[in-house]
Amino acid sequence: MADDIVFELLHSEIINYAMEQSKDNSEKKEADLSIVEYIGFAAGYKVMERLTREWSRFKDELDTMKFVCTDFWTCIYKKQIDNLRTNHQGVYVLQDNAFRFLTNFSNGQQYLEYAPRYVAYTCGLIRGGLANLSINSIVTAEVQSMPSCKFHIHVQRV
Amino acid sequence: MAVCVAVIGKDNSPLYIGGIGNDTGTDNELSRQWLVHTALDALEERLATTNTNNAAAGTNTARADLRDLYLGLLYSTDTHKIYGYVTNTRIKLVLVTSSTSPSGSNIRDAEVRTALRRLHALYADAICNPFHLPGDQITSPKFDKQVKSLMLNNV
Repeated sequence: MADDIVFELLHSEIINYAMEQSKDNSEKKEADLSIVEYIGFAAGYKVMERLTREWSRFKDELDTMKFVCTDFWTCIYKKQIDNLRTNHQGVYVLQDNAFRFLTNFSNGQQYLEYAPRYVAYTCGLIRGGLANLSINSIVTAEVQSMPSCKFHIHVQRV
Repeated sequence: MAVCVAVIGKDNSPLYIGGIGNDTGTDNELSRQWLVHTALDALEERLATTNTNNAAAGTNTARADLRDLYLGLLYSTDTHKIYGYVTNTRIKLVLVTSSTSPSGSNIRDAEVRTALRRLHALYADAICNPFHLPGDQITSPKFDKQVKSLMLNNV
């Protein structure tokens, strides 16, 4: 669909821009993706306010995570999370078997080293959404084989 | 209908307090703040009972109602009635009506509910301003104007 591709292209341009910036600023090998993560955070925060408008109050944390996996994900990536796992102690693993930003790449090992750039935005998106629902967390991503991606959410308890 | 509406943030700090009428004096501003803040305790209490009821997970018939975002009449004084609404994102919306004015004394619950739902929609729009940072006061004149017209339309 036309409106989907706009988001995808804008996203890849944001990554390119951030890469360009970090190239100028420092000679570090590690790319600076914190700006991309922050853009995701702001977007997630705002989307969540809209999305939960018609919803009844969430029962608990797991209920909130289910919401993120189903409705929040559908709103942004037009599909649901394929697998949600938790240890019931504040660690959640969300697995997407065909993550949208990675589906256009080779399925083999070819671009595996660049994959982390394309998941930073989404980490921020999840973190921002949860932050607005009063859940402070650290979100990291892991890509092992190409179109599938795992997001690890560590909830910070005070 | 409404004499005052307020948007209260996650940490009980006021993000926006707006009233109507020709009075913009400091005294009125203070009395508004006072009215809104008297309701906050009642609001917290209402939320706490919601949580315990859910934890008990009993087949309580009132449970569905308690999970509603609209919390109904929180507090009433001789002159004012205070209604509350809490979003999923812990933003508290408070609406104060005057029970001395003819239009405010016989206001229906459904009207307040719709007004607060519309306020929530306006808030969600205001928050989408990219220059607005989470937790900041809402200073947008557009939001102010929309809220004022919301209050007046319901007279």
